[in-house]
Amino acid sequence: MIALIMAWGSDVYLYPFLFIALYFESFFLVTFLSKPARMRRTDTPAPLAEDAPPVAIVVPCWNEETTVAGTVESLLALEYPQEKLAIILVNDGSTDGTRAAMDRFSGHPQITIIHKENGGKFTAMNIGIEQARDARFIGFLDADSFVAPDSLREIVASFDGPDTAAVTASMSIHEPHTIFQRMQYAEYSLAITLRHVFASVNGLYVTPGPFSFYRRSIFAELGVFRHAHLAEDMEMAMRIQRAGLTIGNAIRARVYTKGPPSLRTLLKQRVRWTTGFLRNVCFDYRDLIGNRKNQVLGFFILPFAIAAMGGGIFLFFYSIVKFTERSLHTLSLLQTVPLSYMFSWHPFSWFYLPITGVALLGVVSMTSALVWMTVGKRLSKTPGTLAPNVVLFFLLYGIIAPIWLIRSVSDVVRGTHTAWR
Amino acid sequence: MSLFTRNALIALVLAGTIIGTVIYAVTYLNNARIAELGAIEDQLSIETLSLDTQFSLLEAAPCDSATSSATLTGELSDLGDRLAYAEGQLGKDNEQVVRLKKQYSLLEIRDYLITKKLAAACGTKPVTVLYFYSNTGDCADCDRAGYALSYLHTTYPNLRVYSFDYTLDLGALKTLIAVAKVNGPLPAFVVNGKHSYGFTSLEDLEKQFPKGALATSTTAMR
Repeated sequence: MIALIMAWGSDVYLYPFLFIALYFESFFLVTFLSKPARMRRTDTPAPLAEDAPPVAIVVPCWNEETTVAGTVESLLALEYPQEKLAIILVNDGSTDGTRAAMDRFSGHPQITIIHKENGGKFTAMNIGIEQARDARFIGFLDADSFVAPDSLREIVASFDGPDTAAVTASMSIHEPHTIFQRMQYAEYSLAITLRHVFASVNGLYVTPGPFSFYRRSIFAELGVFRHAHLAEDMEMAMRIQRAGLTIGNAIRARVYTKGPPSLRTLLKQRVRWTTGFLRNVCFDYRDLIGNRKNQVLGFFILPFAIAAMGGGIFLFFYSIVKFTERSLHTLSLLQTVPLSYMFSWHPFSWFYLPITGVALLGVVSMTSALVWMTVGKRLSKTPGTLAPNVVLFFLLYGIIAPIWLIRSVSDVVRGTHTAWR
Repeated sequence: MSLFTRNALIALVLAGTIIGTVIYAVTYLNNARIAELGAIEDQLSIETLSLDTQFSLLEAAPCDSATSSATLTGELSDLGDRLAYAEGQLGKDNEQVVRLKKQYSLLEIRDYLITKKLAAACGTKPVTVLYFYSNTGDCADCDRAGYALSYLHTTYPNLRVYSFDYTLDLGALKTLIAVAKVNGPLPAFVVNGKHSYGFTSLEDLEKQFPKGALATSTTAMR
């Protein structure tokens, strides 16, 4: 075993990346402990007043025949005065049984059903906005997601000032089955804390499709949704940030979504998200980077997000080169001496413990991620088990994420556009 | 000062503190490794000197004494493994590593000389291997050769392997290289005085050994 350890040396080139990651994590911790974030997670929302604001929820659907009914039923179960809650289902030219699935709810007093030609998700959302003339807040829910009964009350309570243009919810993966869904479960738990912390300093640059709400007036002020490189939720959030408004987060507003079950569908989804991010940030909204009006976003979050993508790709290739190099080296040693000698066990000695700066900083980073996942799950009261999913996250994410990052950068550089699905 | 600026500065201090702690911990561990190596070397140095002194005191009948069966090769081999690991961790140019390597080389040379003297006096035929390597990047096969010799030493405990960094700036080592007449490409082996250069495979290396020399510990005890 000692022979094997000695064959694998240490890597000093990883230090710059580990430092950047550590600095990000430190900033994150300090911001988590700062007063704005503390207040947001400890404040209990006031009981819903009798004059609860009118709310509309738009559900854009495209070929969601199997899930749309569950989505609508979860909306109907929301703890909110029925006369104040309108649900607008928009069928964006589905070619499967979505029309029939939606029409099951026709005649329901809270539900409006619209069938239209296929024009893209943003067109379905905009028709919903047109329809929701009486609402003060308009929310959107993807037709493969559903919500917890108290989530809308949490969302409405989080519109705590006139500058709050939008509020996001805490998303999690519903009943993960495949290894890729389990990996996403851990990832989403981490994202819950990230969103909570960055919302406390107005650092969000995306208002995700599942259950993000907008003050209706901002559509009149800033315009409705656009194609936005198939990232309309990201583009709208950046438009809000550019206007100097605020995006909040209701950490206890739980929304459950079905994560892509296979590697192929996961990669397709993430390439769409990442290319949308790159095209919006690097071209349409590049003025947000270095923007003094919102320093957290302009000097920290967006630059770090871009650096993290570059770092992820570099580390991926670096790891492949190193792994290949060391594997070939180990292979040559295995051809030299018997396998049993390479793996023979020697008495334990602290002397050979592979404790290096890279290893320790890696442990710090991984522990930090684990803590934030746990915090996210607990604060949002998300059901499910984290432990086995975290293991899959640590095993798979570093291998899979670089694939969609590389593909996305390649698509943006070559001008390739992908379809929604 | 804005919340962002304040948090960014605190985060910088925090990240610096964590990195400082990590650097301190790793340095502490490496110093502990160096200290352990030094302690082992000191112990070996005393034992070697003791062996040498015993040999001198009993020069008339060295083979009757315990010196004939004494061996330090096991400890030397363990020290060599630890030194190689420390070199991998701290770098081959690290001053302390270089100093320890020089001490280690001296210990090896002394053990080699005592072994030869005992063999001459007692008529035994130990198999000794002088192995010369370089880790400056000019010896592609040295790593494999080192592993092969470690394997042979583990498999045949009676084999006495002495590894030397050919590039080490040490007078005694340079003299040994001159006396042993090692002048070919590395890795170089001197097996009981017979020279061979380069490394192809474990089997080819084994062919350099005298017939019957590679007996396992069990066979050797018979």
